[in-house]
Amino acid sequence: MRSFLSMFAKSPFKPLKSHMDKVRACVEQVKPLFDALDKKDYDSVQKISELIVKLEHEADIIKDNIRIHMRQSMFLPVDKKDFMRLLSAQDDIADAVEDLAVLLRIKNLDTPDEIRFSLKELVAHIVETAHMGCDLISELEALLEASFGGAEAEKVEKATQELGTAEWEADRKQFALAKKLFSLGDDLAAADLLLWNEVIKKLGAVADKTEQIGKTLRMFLSQ
Amino acid sequence: MDLDTFLLSFAVIACIYMACNIGANDVANAMGTSVGSKSLTFRQAILIAAVAEFVGAFFVGGEVSDTIRKGMLDPLMFEAVPYHLVYGMISALVAAALWLHIASYLGWPVSTTHSIVGGVVGFGVIAGGMDVINWGKIGMVVLSWVVSPVMGGLFAFLLFKFISKAVFGKRTPLIYAKNLLPYMVFFVFVILTNAMVYKGLKNLHMDLSFTRALVISLMVGALTFIITKYLARKIPYNPSWDLKKQFHETENVFKYLQILTAFYVAFAHGSNDVANAVGPLAAVVAILKDGQVHMNVPMPTWILGLGGGFIVFGLMVWGAKVMATIGEKITELTPSRGFAATFGAATVVLICSKMGLPISTTHTLVGSVIGVGLARGLPTLNLGIIRMIAISWISTIPFTAVISMLCFKIFLVFLP
Repeated sequence: MRSFLSMFAKSPFKPLKSHMDKVRACVEQVKPLFDALDKKDYDSVQKISELIVKLEHEADIIKDNIRIHMRQSMFLPVDKKDFMRLLSAQDDIADAVEDLAVLLRIKNLDTPDEIRFSLKELVAHIVETAHMGCDLISELEALLEASFGGAEAEKVEKATQELGTAEWEADRKQFALAKKLFSLGDDLAAADLLLWNEVIKKLGAVADKTEQIGKTLRMFLSQ
Repeated sequence: MDLDTFLLSFAVIACIYMACNIGANDVANAMGTSVGSKSLTFRQAILIAAVAEFVGAFFVGGEVSDTIRKGMLDPLMFEAVPYHLVYGMISALVAAALWLHIASYLGWPVSTTHSIVGGVVGFGVIAGGMDVINWGKIGMVVLSWVVSPVMGGLFAFLLFKFISKAVFGKRTPLIYAKNLLPYMVFFVFVILTNAMVYKGLKNLHMDLSFTRALVISLMVGALTFIITKYLARKIPYNPSWDLKKQFHETENVFKYLQILTAFYVAFAHGSNDVANAVGPLAAVVAILKDGQVHMNVPMPTWILGLGGGFIVFGLMVWGAKVMATIGEKITELTPSRGFAATFGAATVVLICSKMGLPISTTHTLVGSVIGVGLARGLPTLNLGIIRMIAISWISTIPFTAVISMLCFKIFLVFLP
């Protein structure tokens, strides 16, 4: 296309949203994964885990595409570094979920009764937190329309604060669960203890990375 | 066929060639944002462009023509050899049109204005030496090429900042957009009408003073204000709509404004750029009339009509092809952004036309789009175009100047 109209390049915010859709699809598999584990349905654990790995890979392809197309001459309404940071945060969520899926496939884990309830609670909370992060990305389109200001910005600002609270709550739940796990002492095989500890840490990581999305969006607003 | 008839025919054909190139080259610039944001289909855009370009060229085109004809070189230096000025003006037209043709083919964002300026300077230097060129005026013209994108950018930046604060920043953007609409329409119509009737109706022998023109414009503006106010009430609004839905509906309101601005920018373009084709022809016709060089010649109405007519012809025949692909290629532009960018650019172009400054519509639009981008209005911009513009700035004038010199030399070899 000739003339000044070639200034209108393809928006990187649309693929960013597509990437987040894949991340959301990963996150949506976390609850079924733990449900299957709880029921000792290890075939399902295997299947869901493979699905997560596949979704994470698809997200990676989108991410790489965004990185390739981010040219020097492109001008964004936000700092390019912040934009890439947002993409990385989204990617880290998918990575953490993938790690979880792989951990649960190392051996057929048994869920001890003592942590069953707290684990369920933590998983539910983590999934909810991750969804809050995904919803924030869905606001990006409206945020662009409002030029990162006004009522829409206030709405997003509030949502990032809620996300921060949710992450804090996740930390608390994670700590409580870890305490319960280690109070089991010698009742749990060392291998299981080690693996469960990793799983709990990864669950916490999902919330941590989600909070990073909120932080980066606040950077968008403050420019 | 005697020499005069031959020269006149040659000049008319060169003018037609140039006008067609202007239409083909620039219509996408004028209407691109409207088609890109889906405010207009490409057929509607062509229709609006055709009408607006012609009206702008016919009513306001005269002023810039004077600058092309006599602003950049002193016609009186040719008093002893009036026919050299005829050859020269034809050479300038041929050189500029050729360059536009080549640039269109290569897809370079060149300026029709810069092309003709290069052509005039080129033959001027050969025919009369360095002294014949009015370097002060050339300096102003070149300065306006830098100033106009900056002004376009500033206008568009401020306008968009205002829109995003006054409309998109609100909890009920749609209500604010509906309230703002009549004022915007008023503003556009006052400027448009004023540009058209103040000095513009000379061709129809209705020369109005500035005050009378202003009164007429304000009356037209007030009338459109009342009509828009009435129509705006009919735009549906539901308090239960969330912000996203309201943003969507608000953009639909801006579609109306953008259609208006599309007319505005095509009008401004016609008013500024028709001169590039008809300015040299007017000079030729004046000399051939009595074989003498005159300082002040009236711009014959038929010449403005011819220029406007063939700009329209060019845009319909060749420009349409370019337009047809725009809608699919630009997907990131919403009507509010398109409105801010085109309104900013068109205002600057029109002001410059009124001041007799030949500026580049294309480059002013580049400036105004960057202005909207700086106001955080666009998801992304490809600034690689700035390099292309720099190249076209540097290459246009030398190329057209040299071609114009060559044509002029050829004339001198074959004709007395």
